[in-house]
Amino acid sequence: MSASGVATSSGIAVWWGAIRRDRKALAGSVILAIFLVIAIAGPWFVGDPTAPVGIPLQPPSADHWLGTTGQGQDVLAQLVVGTRVSLAIGFAVGFAVVLIGALVGVTAGYFGGRIDGFLSLLFNVFLVLPGLPLAIVIAAYLPSGPLTLGLVLTVTGWAWNARVLRSQTLSQRRRDFVAAAIVSGESSPRIIVREILPTMTSLMVAQMIGSTVYAIGAQVGLEFLGLGDVSGVTWGTNLYWAQNDSALLTGAWWTFAPTGLCVALVGFGLTMLNSGFDEITNPRLVLERAWRAHLIRRGRGATRSTPVVMDRG
Amino acid sequence: MAEPILSIRDFSVDYVTERGLVRAVDGVTLDVEPAEILGIAGESGSGKSTLAQALMRILPPPAVISGGQVLFEGRDLLALPEDDLREVRWKRIAMVFQSAMDALNPVTTVGEQIEETLHAHGAVSADAARARALELLEMVGIPSASIDAYAHQLSGGMRQRVCIAMALALHPSLLILDEPTTALDVIVEREILEQIRALQRRLGFAVMFITHDLARMLQFSDRVAIFYAARLVELAPADALRRAARHPYTQGLLRSFPSVHGGGTELQSIPGAPPSLETPPAGCRFHPRCGRVVDRCRTQNPAWRTLAPSHAAACHLAE
Amino acid sequence: MTYILRRLGFYLLSAWVALTINFLLPRLMPGDPATALFARFRGQLAPEAMQALRETFGLTQAPLLTQYLTSLRHVLTGDLGISVAYFPSPVSTVIGTGLVWTVLLAGSAVAISFTIGTLLGLVAAWWRRGWVDTWLPSALVFLGSFPYFWLAMVALFVFGFTLGWFPLGHAYADDVVPAFSTAFVTDVVRHAALPVATMVLATLGGWLLSMRNTTIAVLGSDYVNLARAKGLSPARVALRYAARNALLPSVTGLGMALGFVLGGSLLTEIVFSYPGQGYLLVQAVRNQDYPLMQGIFLVITLAVLAANFLVDLAYLWLDPRIRESAT
Repeated sequence: MSASGVATSSGIAVWWGAIRRDRKALAGSVILAIFLVIAIAGPWFVGDPTAPVGIPLQPPSADHWLGTTGQGQDVLAQLVVGTRVSLAIGFAVGFAVVLIGALVGVTAGYFGGRIDGFLSLLFNVFLVLPGLPLAIVIAAYLPSGPLTLGLVLTVTGWAWNARVLRSQTLSQRRRDFVAAAIVSGESSPRIIVREILPTMTSLMVAQMIGSTVYAIGAQVGLEFLGLGDVSGVTWGTNLYWAQNDSALLTGAWWTFAPTGLCVALVGFGLTMLNSGFDEITNPRLVLERAWRAHLIRRGRGATRSTPVVMDRG
Repeated sequence: MAEPILSIRDFSVDYVTERGLVRAVDGVTLDVEPAEILGIAGESGSGKSTLAQALMRILPPPAVISGGQVLFEGRDLLALPEDDLREVRWKRIAMVFQSAMDALNPVTTVGEQIEETLHAHGAVSADAARARALELLEMVGIPSASIDAYAHQLSGGMRQRVCIAMALALHPSLLILDEPTTALDVIVEREILEQIRALQRRLGFAVMFITHDLARMLQFSDRVAIFYAARLVELAPADALRRAARHPYTQGLLRSFPSVHGGGTELQSIPGAPPSLETPPAGCRFHPRCGRVVDRCRTQNPAWRTLAPSHAAACHLAE
Repeated sequence: MTYILRRLGFYLLSAWVALTINFLLPRLMPGDPATALFARFRGQLAPEAMQALRETFGLTQAPLLTQYLTSLRHVLTGDLGISVAYFPSPVSTVIGTGLVWTVLLAGSAVAISFTIGTLLGLVAAWWRRGWVDTWLPSALVFLGSFPYFWLAMVALFVFGFTLGWFPLGHAYADDVVPAFSTAFVTDVVRHAALPVATMVLATLGGWLLSMRNTTIAVLGSDYVNLARAKGLSPARVALRYAARNALLPSVTGLGMALGFVLGGSLLTEIVFSYPGQGYLLVQAVRNQDYPLMQGIFLVITLAVLAANFLVDLAYLWLDPRIRESAT
């Protein structure tokens, strides 16, 4: 029997289960949903983020809820418009690095031997090269913009996923149904696509979430350095201009505080989603929670020695 | 007969799962006499290892002890506070785990692991502890140079000997062997079991020997307890069991081991698989696999009956 | 020995990959940045400086392989070209002035964060569902979600600008003479306190979670169970058994996190105008000083590789199984 049908549905279904049953996962997905709505619909509700609309560096007021920038632009408008590009780059890179990671990792794990040796060496080298400096050097040579950012973040971010998916493939390869498929003469690409990848969908979703957190953070960092398109409006360029306009030394906290808070909220939401997923799929955590709940119901606390909860008396 | 050193009464252990409790040891009553070797046999998952770890109260979550009484040398182990339990552990009851590779700390030397046991249970000087550790290793036939070895540097047999030496460090009155030779080859297994028996005769401790290998158990034990699906189904002296097992499950087990029944008859395995403990069958738990099943077996749980002096079983049909 | 040699070989290979990327980047990229740079500096630079720039970008007539070998030779002899932003100083001199500050900042942040985070992780795993386990991981993960440099901006704004408890930037005050004196050291510590503290806060959660999760796994192992059966004191079980074994994966993670933390440290330096590699990097980006940028990439890569090797040595010391195969 092919495990693929079952695994595909459960891979995604498990995530729905996590969101429904785990408070952390629910909180994470709510935060994320709010930002997605802002990213998609928000720009229609605010004015032109680059237009000077008031006196520079005004604190939050009724006219400008989050104040104005050093160029007299509306901070709220910049924040909302910036959400779209920043999240788009984040999710695109998250998707791309898992795709490349899966391609390299699964190939290495499935074929083994020299192919594995070479690919493993490749991702181990990329893991040990410091990502940000490499990204900076590459980005500096390319025309600035979202495409460049996406590219350099993908180049510096795929290795970890490849490593994890390689070891996952190694363990999947030992499973009976894969062995059966190999013996029955199915082609390798078919086995990989039909038998191995489907068993890893929920892991890959988790990796995509983790990689998106990385991509948003690193992207903001690069743009802060001035490697983004400084005439565009993204979270990172907002911070770049805040630093450039000496926001700190003029006390204009509103030009940088809201952006950082948004970056953190998105990152935190994604991380909570991941850890909520872990809580309901990690068998050790699931059983331990049930065990504690049982003891509490019976009026006991957890003890280091095996607890005694008598049926009678 | 002398007072038993360990007296287990109606002892039950549950594992907590998401869907409720699963009973892994169900109402077991059993005594261990001083200086005897009591064998406990059963398929994996029958509750025998759970029983052993639960007695020492070292069974990790999600297990809970749900009923019964465990009297050891007059003390109720289920009512002892943590500190007193620590005193009983190893000083009075010691244990050899199934896999010596996993049971030894990989990052400290075996000597250190024996010495720390001595230090934990009384003020011993470092020199005295080391001398005792050497003595213990010599007792189980390990060269003294290996005292500073790490677990991964020793063979499987050597590691298990280290565990035995460690178990005997404080002269316990009960030694629990939890499938001590599963990971070893037959020759090493025999050597180790013979060594344990020799030590047991010399030092006079009682042994609780847990295994799924009935043949080995009958050679090695004085009395044998048979577990099936979390319950005790038969208890008898080893000779009596070999000659005249009363429970159909025990009879089936005996037929499936070559060295037990000698030549002649054909080897037969018991048809079917052991039941899931989440949804055990009603009545006698063995009835779906039993060749002699009658209506009563399907509904009524057989009582524990003494059939001959020191021979008891739980079967409607046994007489 | 084999373990050490294997790791050394791997780092040499990684260094070679970094050198090769460094060589190929300007030659592969579209738009030829070098020509743009030339146009900008024509007339301002002495002919020999122009020649040096040309060589850096491989605009010589020599075949690619010759250029490659020349570039390798230059790097190996410490010649990283001439900086544009700090003309006419050689890149190696410019980088040299900032290296010690970056190592100081990133090094102390990693050491402090790893130590505290690992201890907290052990505490959280040992007292499961205790105070530390319930609140700290989420709180620290939230803090860790902020970009390092943003936390640095807030810290600078609150503790430097508003409250005035800490200096607003630089590694030491202008009126203090750099020397091994109490006054100088105190001043350096005062200047480093805020950047180091923000980096520690941002990374603490990662170490806590990694140690917590491995400790929980180790606590379920047979050898911990045996340690309990032996009647060892809880303190001994926690430290000699659980912590000692759970530390190993954390140390492996330390090696992998170094490059990441260093990246964050570069950005933090910028906020505090701290005179390390990050500050130089921003100058390099603003002035399109490609030789300096590439030099910084190379030097940081080598520093990370060296630090990774130190971590490997620590691992060797911690894990007798590796030590065995190493001797």
